[in-house]
Amino acid sequence: MAKIIVVTSGKGGVGKTTSAAAIATGLALRGNKTVVIDFDVGLRNLDLIMGCERRVVYDLVNVIQGEAGLNQALIRDKRVDNLHILPASQTRDKDALNLEGVEKVLDTLSKDFDYILCDSPAGIERGAQLAMYFADEAIVVTNPEVSSVRDSDRILGLLASKTRRAERGEDPIKEHLLVTRYNPARVDSGDMLNLEDIREILAINLIGLIPESEAVLRASNHGVPVTHDADSDAGQAYTDTVARLIGEEVPLRFHQYEKKSLLSRMFGGGRR
Amino acid sequence: MSLNVERDGMAFTFKGGMLPMTVMELTSADPERIRDQLADKLSQSPAFFQHTPVVLNVEKLDEPHLALERICAVCRAHKLLPVAVRGGPDPVKQSAWALGLGWFPPQESARARPLESVAPVEPETDEVELAEPQATAGVVSGGRIYRGTVRSGQQVTAPSGDLIVIGAVNAGAEVLAAGSVHVYGALRGRALAGIHGDPLAVIFCRELNAELLSVAGNYKRLEDVDPRLLGTAVQVRLQDDQLGIVPLT
Repeated sequence: MAKIIVVTSGKGGVGKTTSAAAIATGLALRGNKTVVIDFDVGLRNLDLIMGCERRVVYDLVNVIQGEAGLNQALIRDKRVDNLHILPASQTRDKDALNLEGVEKVLDTLSKDFDYILCDSPAGIERGAQLAMYFADEAIVVTNPEVSSVRDSDRILGLLASKTRRAERGEDPIKEHLLVTRYNPARVDSGDMLNLEDIREILAINLIGLIPESEAVLRASNHGVPVTHDADSDAGQAYTDTVARLIGEEVPLRFHQYEKKSLLSRMFGGGRR
Repeated sequence: MSLNVERDGMAFTFKGGMLPMTVMELTSADPERIRDQLADKLSQSPAFFQHTPVVLNVEKLDEPHLALERICAVCRAHKLLPVAVRGGPDPVKQSAWALGLGWFPPQESARARPLESVAPVEPETDEVELAEPQATAGVVSGGRIYRGTVRSGQQVTAPSGDLIVIGAVNAGAEVLAAGSVHVYGALRGRALAGIHGDPLAVIFCRELNAELLSVAGNYKRLEDVDPRLLGTAVQVRLQDDQLGIVPLT
């Protein structure tokens, strides 16, 4: 049985798809058979981030509506053996998805894969609710910004009520906080919310912190998930996140401003 | 600006208000007995009887017809001014209206019948998003205990008692209670106590950052709160029809 993990946020543009691609890649690189599903029907993006946009023939909607088999729609990643992508349809909208269809797809994938990542669309409507409905775990992607935190809070409320686990009264979905676009310098200057404030408000377990990084934009535009960029801070941060997701203890990195000035403040200047 | 201009042309505006009101709960429908008791009270505390408006509560009387006119006359003779009747069957309602009095429906709160068993109460609102069962714990005598964070968009209600939240109430969340609201955590959302008009309801919290505080319809926005109280443990209660925020020490 695969573990179903939804990557969600409420707010758009916070890095859900980037994170879903990077984490799926990281899981596969560690030998887990992984599939990442794009639930953003009508605004297909995951294929671009994964660099497989030219190989999309069939999509999730085709599979749900019986127009194609699952194996026809699954795209095998060129870089990592264990990684598959199930793209969204660009020409349909979210009404083309239905609960029974999604369940059937997830059940079938569940037999062959270790991890199923569901890349949720933004918002709290049907598309987002379908993406989270069958999840075992949730990664809530949040930017250090008040509106993003509030929207994540809203999504956490839905995860606790509008999912299969909640409706059946089973163990609740395991919720993880992933803070992205974190810029310690701007946190220090007060422009951004700091990590502690976000954690206090959302009150869930922190699974990772991704620094704001040029590597992310570069990776997106090249269609190579940033996890492959092992030299970059963001790539390493996603690798750490994946390690924590599978239960390893990894110390937090990239959350503090590299304070050259701190030393000079303490020892320099001849004061005291 | 346009709003002010329009207002100038208006003869009045309707506003909701909560006024303190003396309720005279009748246990006898006999005007003579009422007269005797009133005369007795008048001699004890004449200051109270200054054309004081009263609501005649007849819920406890089990009579289809009341000598309402005579009861009112007795009250007026003792400088009490009946303004409305509460409860009673339809004929009582009709005669109240005929006498120029208002009529209020009977008080249907569970507080009047505290001994009846109380089933777990679901919030009666349309925006209901109950968390997983384990987050909503037991129901204590019409009240409710909620364990966990009340998140943005969620609404947790105790329609007939106190609401106790063991956790934070986040911005965009709303907690409501017929009685008092107790938040053992940060209060960042909206808290409304005494939603059926109980002026004695109180809001307690460990860390005040509420978007809105309301007790029995009297409210304060975060803007109106003394900034020195923000982030501190406080209680919020009605004092002379004003919301008073007092540090909890």
